[in-house]
Amino acid sequence: MKLYDSFRSALQSLVVNKLRSALTMLGVIIGVASVIAMVAVGNGASQQVQSTILSLGSNLITVMPANLSDQGLRGAGAQAANLTLDDMRAIQTQLGSTIAASHAEQGAGRWQVTASGQNWNTNVNGVSEDYPIVRDWPLQSGDFFSGSDLTVNAQVAVIGSTTATNLFGEGDAVGQTLQLRQAFGGGGKDQRARILNFKIVGVLATKGSTGFGQSRDDQILVPITTAQRVLTGRLNVVNTIVIKATSSDAMTDTTLDVTNVLLQRHNISDPASADFSVTNQNDTLAALGAVTGTFTLLLGAIGGISLLVGGIGIMNIMLVSVNERTREIGIRKAVGARRGDILNQFLIEAIALTGFGGVIGILLGWAITEVVHRIPQAASLPLLITSGTVIIAVGVSVAIGVVFGLYPAMRAARLHPIQALRYE
Amino acid sequence: MNESVVQLRGITKTYRIGREITVNALRGVDLDVRPAEFLAIMGPSGSGKSTLMNVLGCLDVADGGTYVLAGENVNKLSDDKLASIRNKHVGFVFQTYNLLSRLNAIENVELPLIYGGDRKQRRERALAALEQVGLGDRIHHRPSELSGGQQQRVAIARALLNDPSMILADEPTGNLDSRSSAEILSIFQRLNDLGKTVVMVTHEPDVAAHCKRVVRMRDGLIAHDELVPRPRRAEDEIALGIGAAE
Repeated sequence: MKLYDSFRSALQSLVVNKLRSALTMLGVIIGVASVIAMVAVGNGASQQVQSTILSLGSNLITVMPANLSDQGLRGAGAQAANLTLDDMRAIQTQLGSTIAASHAEQGAGRWQVTASGQNWNTNVNGVSEDYPIVRDWPLQSGDFFSGSDLTVNAQVAVIGSTTATNLFGEGDAVGQTLQLRQAFGGGGKDQRARILNFKIVGVLATKGSTGFGQSRDDQILVPITTAQRVLTGRLNVVNTIVIKATSSDAMTDTTLDVTNVLLQRHNISDPASADFSVTNQNDTLAALGAVTGTFTLLLGAIGGISLLVGGIGIMNIMLVSVNERTREIGIRKAVGARRGDILNQFLIEAIALTGFGGVIGILLGWAITEVVHRIPQAASLPLLITSGTVIIAVGVSVAIGVVFGLYPAMRAARLHPIQALRYE
Repeated sequence: MNESVVQLRGITKTYRIGREITVNALRGVDLDVRPAEFLAIMGPSGSGKSTLMNVLGCLDVADGGTYVLAGENVNKLSDDKLASIRNKHVGFVFQTYNLLSRLNAIENVELPLIYGGDRKQRRERALAALEQVGLGDRIHHRPSELSGGQQQRVAIARALLNDPSMILADEPTGNLDSRSSAEILSIFQRLNDLGKTVVMVTHEPDVAAHCKRVVRMRDGLIAHDELVPRPRRAEDEIALGIGAAE
């Protein structure tokens, strides 16, 4: 029997039982669609996590004070105030051109902000002058403050684009003045407020959400020295030093260099007892990649289970079909069908069911991702249907056709012609 | 021609029902069928005629003895070899027609050529066979749209398709009225006149009276084997307006 004829008779019998074929396929359709959609969501999520991390700047090495520990006991959340602006300057001087740039940061907390009659509440951060280089974050207007602004503790500010819109609407923020207010003293009559004027010198370009639910476009940056002296009073202390390596490959070496510089400055000989911690962005990416990979695998497995259930449905229907068509099998054998012919016929029927189901499932899966895109909360999630996913989904559904169609087809092929012909 | 189409020697077949009961369906059957014979196999139920028919049609294999069909020894052939033999040498006509209900007439007739033969000639030969049984105008009808007699004619066309060595008919008129029976028998007679070998299992003496030779079975053996001196002609009966089995 030619393959063409096997195909023809398989398709014929599927068309004759339209409703049954459609319902059987539904199992595979849902299975494949869920694998496609789930893996797309998983891939999309992991890509978003990666791009979020990289949007904080690429090739970053972050130095933070280590948790205070005393003979192995850690203070809860307490951090030593042992990183200084001088540490950052030392890294800059000693490592020179082996690093791309670095900056230090000190958070100054939330402040009430007023400007041109508008009120707003946002985070204020003290940073050093190379912040835009380290963070790959250009300005949309104005300039970033300079090293000399740091030297004189200038009361200047660069604000995020959201902050600018909230305070000044569509108007130009550069050159305007904003006021930071902080209430102190008791409540009621005794309460007084500290008011500090800052001149706006620049507005950062829009970066969008971090994906962790907070907007990085809503913040105010001031020179770190100004933050230390005027806003927090924590002189010379920094929360974070961020170093940008020249390339991804250089990160391991740079991490080592940074660690050595700081160990030397802090007079620590044993790296294990360092009072700071150095985090390499590559490590973070790898760790998060592993997490999101597991997540994707989990989602795929859930889809895979429904695919398996669909496959069992195929086997069930094929067994019913073989039973129902026992007489047909007898007739075909009487006129000369060999075992292989009957086996092929039923196997191809099963594969056609799963193959079509697979193709429709891919279309449905794609449609689902399109619908998910329309949901506002998920609109920013990139949903990736890769050719690999599609190939695997089709391959798996055809394989399911073979695996779950084989047993019924073998039963059909093994039927004895006389018994099959007498079957009522 | 001296060469027999069918040569059975000492054919035995035993069935086992349950664990203990065995039935000797055939107990050493010798039979020769020569080309262009029209043979009826008769006998009461349980006489072994169905088993003999299954063995003749290579649907079943004998336990003992030798069977040579069209010069080929078919003893102990594998299932797939037997399938090829059936495809090439045997054309089956069943009491219940056994057409595939979802295929139309011509597709049913084409079936044997799907499992052997040239695809290009398929339609052409199927059409010729249907014309031979007088159904050239109904090729796209489904079995459900045809009368019993017409369905049996489609089945005969299917049996003819591979130009088999022998047409094997199992009670071909059993489900038909006398008029249709006469038509079917006249087709067999016409084919036989053209040189086809026809073996027919029947329990109706009126039907057997149309054959040239009648073999009677009893208890797994051939009890009588005789030539019919003057077989009845079905077409004469149709012309006279009487059915074959009346």
